[in-house]
Amino acid sequence: MKNNKGYHIIILFCLCFLAVANVNAQSDWQVPVEANEKLSPFLFDDDMVLEGRVAYENSCTSCHGTPSQDDFTPMSPPPGDPASEPFQAQSDGSMFYKIKTGRGTMPKFADAFADDELWNIVAYIRSFNENYKQELPNMEGIVIPEYAMKLSFDENVDKLVVKVFAEELPQPEVSVSAYVMGTFGKHLLGKAQTNELGIAYVDVDPTLPGDEEGRVNVMVKATKGFARAKVEEHMVMAKATERHSAIEGRHIWSTDRMAPIWLKITFFVSVFGVWFALLFIVFGLRNIKKARKEA
Amino acid sequence: MNMANKTDKSRRRFLQKLGIAGASTVAGSALLLQGCSDSNKASGNKVKVLTADNKLVEVDVAHLKPGDKIQDLSYLQKRGREGIPGKKFVMVVDLAKCKNARKCMKACQSAHQLKPEMHHINVLEMEDPVKKTSYWMPKTCQHCDNPPCVSVCPVDATFKRQDGIVLIDNERCIGCRFCVAACPYSARTFNWTEPKNSDQYAEVTYDMELNVPQKKGTVTKCAFSADRLREGKLPYCVSACPNGVYYFGDQNEDLVTNGTTKKTVRLSHLLEENAAYTLMPELGTQPSVYYLPPREDKG
Amino acid sequence: MNETITKGHLSEEQIDRDLLKNVNWGGTFKLWMGFLTVSLIICLYYYYQQLRNGLGVTGLHDYVSWGIYISNFVFFVATSLIGMLVSSVLGMMKVDWVRPVARIAELVAVAFAMVAGLIIITDMGRPDRLLNVFIHGRVQSPIVWDIAVVVTYVAISALLLYIPMLPDIALCRDKLNNVPKWQQKMYKSLSLGWNNTAKQFRLMNRYTRMLLVLIIPIALSIHTVTSWLFAMTLRSGWDSPIFGPYFVSGAFVAGCAAVIIAMYFFRNNYKLKNYITADHFDRMGKLLVLVALVYVYFNINEIIVPGYKANTADAKHVHEMLYGHDSVMFWLVQLGGLVIPFLLILFKPMRKPLPLTLISVIVLAGAWFKRVLIVVPTQLAPYYPIQNVPEGWTGYTPTTPEIAITVASFILVLMIITVLAKLFPVVPIWEVKEDMNHKNN
Repeated sequence: MKNNKGYHIIILFCLCFLAVANVNAQSDWQVPVEANEKLSPFLFDDDMVLEGRVAYENSCTSCHGTPSQDDFTPMSPPPGDPASEPFQAQSDGSMFYKIKTGRGTMPKFADAFADDELWNIVAYIRSFNENYKQELPNMEGIVIPEYAMKLSFDENVDKLVVKVFAEELPQPEVSVSAYVMGTFGKHLLGKAQTNELGIAYVDVDPTLPGDEEGRVNVMVKATKGFARAKVEEHMVMAKATERHSAIEGRHIWSTDRMAPIWLKITFFVSVFGVWFALLFIVFGLRNIKKARKEA
Repeated sequence: MNMANKTDKSRRRFLQKLGIAGASTVAGSALLLQGCSDSNKASGNKVKVLTADNKLVEVDVAHLKPGDKIQDLSYLQKRGREGIPGKKFVMVVDLAKCKNARKCMKACQSAHQLKPEMHHINVLEMEDPVKKTSYWMPKTCQHCDNPPCVSVCPVDATFKRQDGIVLIDNERCIGCRFCVAACPYSARTFNWTEPKNSDQYAEVTYDMELNVPQKKGTVTKCAFSADRLREGKLPYCVSACPNGVYYFGDQNEDLVTNGTTKKTVRLSHLLEENAAYTLMPELGTQPSVYYLPPREDKG
Repeated sequence: MNETITKGHLSEEQIDRDLLKNVNWGGTFKLWMGFLTVSLIICLYYYYQQLRNGLGVTGLHDYVSWGIYISNFVFFVATSLIGMLVSSVLGMMKVDWVRPVARIAELVAVAFAMVAGLIIITDMGRPDRLLNVFIHGRVQSPIVWDIAVVVTYVAISALLLYIPMLPDIALCRDKLNNVPKWQQKMYKSLSLGWNNTAKQFRLMNRYTRMLLVLIIPIALSIHTVTSWLFAMTLRSGWDSPIFGPYFVSGAFVAGCAAVIIAMYFFRNNYKLKNYITADHFDRMGKLLVLVALVYVYFNINEIIVPGYKANTADAKHVHEMLYGHDSVMFWLVQLGGLVIPFLLILFKPMRKPLPLTLISVIVLAGAWFKRVLIVVPTQLAPYYPIQNVPEGWTGYTPTTPEIAITVASFILVLMIITVLAKLFPVVPIWEVKEDMNHKNN
């Protein structure tokens, strides 16, 4: 009882302290001007939003809740809903800075996420703002190369080989991520950077099941700054696996048509056997009628 | 000037690409639904259809889009019995993440026209007899590979499909409730009285993959949202969960997707790394639902 | 004891008069049938309610989805099994004393078996889809086996009632001149021109023997299959390999008790003291002791084997039975409805007609509640907790409509037995005569 009381007092004290120290988490968090004006080097697209969502659900939901649901954890200062007005009023750079550096109860994510991953989270938060229009950096003088990709599979080392070109020239230092497309989502095989020959290697788990011929649907993305490309291809690189129907063969629980033969024979032979005997007796009753003349 | 033009061009190119990507997504889902669209040629008569979020609207048959629910009973019955070839659907429930938000139960009940006491999915508070602690356990139909309910059905009203899903045809069910008695997981529920809002659903064509409209005197249970799977979408409960409890996918691909984060992982790795188990494996029912163990303290 | 199976020297005319006396439509009968009909109509109103509003009018719910309808069905099937034991097993072993009561046993069997089939329909959520069982039947389901075997059993029992009755029907045709025209016509066509020729008796005996052989496996399977409705599931309390013999032995207890009650009723109301004697009661009492002993043995097995091993779910089930939620009913049924009656009948004075009948009533009531104990508690102890449902779902209380519909099944049985016992002599006249002649020679 005593212990409990002490515990309560400590919590109360902490809460008061936090309340006094930080009345509003957003309003007085000063972001350096340079950071505030920083713009994303990536165009926020659906893929970024989706990846940002994965990162958000894993690292942010516990305090901020699901955006636009106002279900953030009640703490002091209130973490707030990222879909709310005060959040969305800030610049992309400000969001990026706050997530990266953290403050007080907001953790620092600089070590947890690379810059592109942080931008994914920003993209995800922005996806809740219908009026948002991404501010793009000044592109003057910058030519954005158009990537083309060639995929192949090296079965000696179980690696997916991705060659990235732009106008027939191999492109070095391009981030490549390869996915296997599942029924409900894409599974990350791996990420790699192209070497000076414009080639990136991604490990393929040889135990991954494909279709009967070992085919899987592969999707590869190549990004470098604003340049990006995406290809989707069916490739033979997984373990050939036969697909079986869950109900093939004769099962006790399957339809009547698929009932085990011994069961059908036993059932019908006994039922019809007995009824045959009964009908024999019923028809035999005529003999009793005939037999009346005998005497 | 020249420079500015170039920038503009490249920008436009992005937007074009974005547009193409968007269009291809739409085309993809349209392809998935191509099989469903043959019955939509007739026009003039209006039908009531269920929208994706399960609201009833009245539309002209001619205006039915591929995404709309189809109205041909025999087609739906045939489709429902056949299942989706080459698939074997599985669910993984991460008990460590369940915080009893019950969004899954709500989504399920509204999708399947269920009364509050009827559960296709039920979040139970389970006691750990040794540690005297408790944890939350969502329990659905286990879609057993050796289903006791299907074995005992006298009329083939509940059946297992090639994709592993155990469904009920409530157009055939005689209401004997042998399956309810036989299920060791208490996964089945019965329409003891007139189903919820049955007058609103009176003209809706029965889709056994959704098991709506429900009928008085028949059994109903979790269908793994077979109607959604056909559209490449995750089940109602799985996508409603705010806590990342559910993974759902195809065992043949060895991939499962988390309904909350949409992260897709290898099923075999997930099960192995987390010491997954199935409910009462000693009964030999071979469930298609796996559980990852709970944390010691309740979240 | 100076009473024997049939009381000594009775002339054939005396026998005819005594045993045909009940075949009439007296005032008491009309009053009794009127009472039964009115009660049945009241009960049928409740069934109409169930048809209109669904099974929700019962106390059933998702956790106890089988209640007193199913336990009543099991009870009816059980009681009907006695026809097989008395007329077939004892008949073929040439146990002569059962011959006068064999028809009563057959009457009980036919009535209970017929109504058992109807009870199943009252338990269905969609009785309108009954035909689906024949259109889409799966031979893998115990329900399909059960339906096949119940229908067969009704047919065999009816034939087994009818064929040995041919000489008596002929007697009715010849002797009863003051019955309505339709009844005379009925006797005429049913008697198949019977005129006691040797060949007719030979044929009759042949067919009867065939039926007596046939009925043994059918009767055993009807109750074994009924037990499989439970034993084929994975629920603790049902999942038991001895459920077949356990049910069959229990069936004989219920059936014996029912026959004793019927015997007492016919003996008193139809003044058959010379034909259904105190000795019959004494021997039926002994038969009841025998079958009860076998049943007690199976009961001990059913409790002690899972209780000893105490695997999680079984231990819970056995605990609920012995000390918990169901303990009051359990001990009342086991001690009051089985062990104490069994011990009492060991004493000869308790096997006199009246005490034995009273004990049989208790045994029969115990047997009914025993079926509830088999069906319900297992469902109340599911493997996973009962949560997020209305509070009442952790228990089970039958509602008025449910009880009324169950009562209706008993009314139907009484009606069938009453009508049959008014149309035909309840004691086989020709067999009694044969017995008498045999003794006199």
